Amino acid sequence: MTASGDKSYVLFPLGKKRFALPAEVVTELARPDSVQTFPHRTPMLSGVLVRRGRIVPVCDVAQVLVGPAAPPRKFYLIANCKRESRQELTAVPVTGECELASAPFAPLTGREPHYITGLLAMGDETVEIVALEKLISAEAMP
Amino acid sequence: MIVFLVGGFRFAISAGAVKEIRSMEGLQPFTLGGISAQIAKLRYTLERGGATYFVVDAAQHFQLLPAQPSRVLILRNSPAAVLVDSMDRIMEISALHALPRAFTQEERGWYRGLAVVNGAVVPVVNHNAFLNKAELEILRAGLERVRGEVMA
Repeated sequence: MTASGDKSYVLFPLGKKRFALPAEVVTELARPDSVQTFPHRTPMLSGVLVRRGRIVPVCDVAQVLVGPAAPPRKFYLIANCKRESRQELTAVPVTGECELASAPFAPLTGREPHYITGLLAMGDETVEIVALEKLISAEAMP
Repeated sequence: MIVFLVGGFRFAISAGAVKEIRSMEGLQPFTLGGISAQIAKLRYTLERGGATYFVVDAAQHFQLLPAQPSRVLILRNSPAAVLVDSMDRIMEISALHALPRAFTQEERGWYRGLAVVNGAVVPVVNHNAFLNKAELEILRAGLERVRGEVMA
């Protein structure tokens, strides 16, 4: 096991599982808001939110991380996501409250999808660290 | 901006891009051999002021379920017209937001950006995308072929 050092992660629930994003990319946890939709063809995007005058795409990663049976999403975790060398806010719907945590790394098994960049050992629980950019770009491939 | 409805969604188009808004009266089914299959969204033609307009079904363009069109937007400086469900309003917008880069598919061509109207997000359509260059080329070639067959 390797120490994650001082690095903090935001743990977010999707149904019974929890996942982690590096804390430095997370900007806020937002209350439920009305997702606005318009026709588009990009997978995983369920619409946009208007937050403080900015338009934030909503990326429903639960479909990929836990499948279609994920319970209703209650909050939006808003994170910075790098796209084409620019940072862009992205809202990730989550199913419950989030937690800020530091924990030692658990060794990767080698069977993880490429968008899982590490594992956190949280007692009996192993939490997968998600690279949002890699997850979104993989799913956007035709 | 002119705001219109298709399939329950609101869209905006630059008022300067629209030459005329009219009813569906006078539309002729488009059945030019081979082209109808290549450009399925092209549903009708309209003769107006000595010009022929190719009428695109906006619901098919935006890959929506079949809608209930009642109005035709004739585009300015273009041989295209657009079949929409209804008109909503004419209004000014103060800012055009870029489409977030998270949107990576056909919508990048469909929209010039997004407007926020009373808290609601309305996509602003790219009027040049209703019939793009490739589709216009297919039309031009098809019409030439048909004219050649008639002459022969």
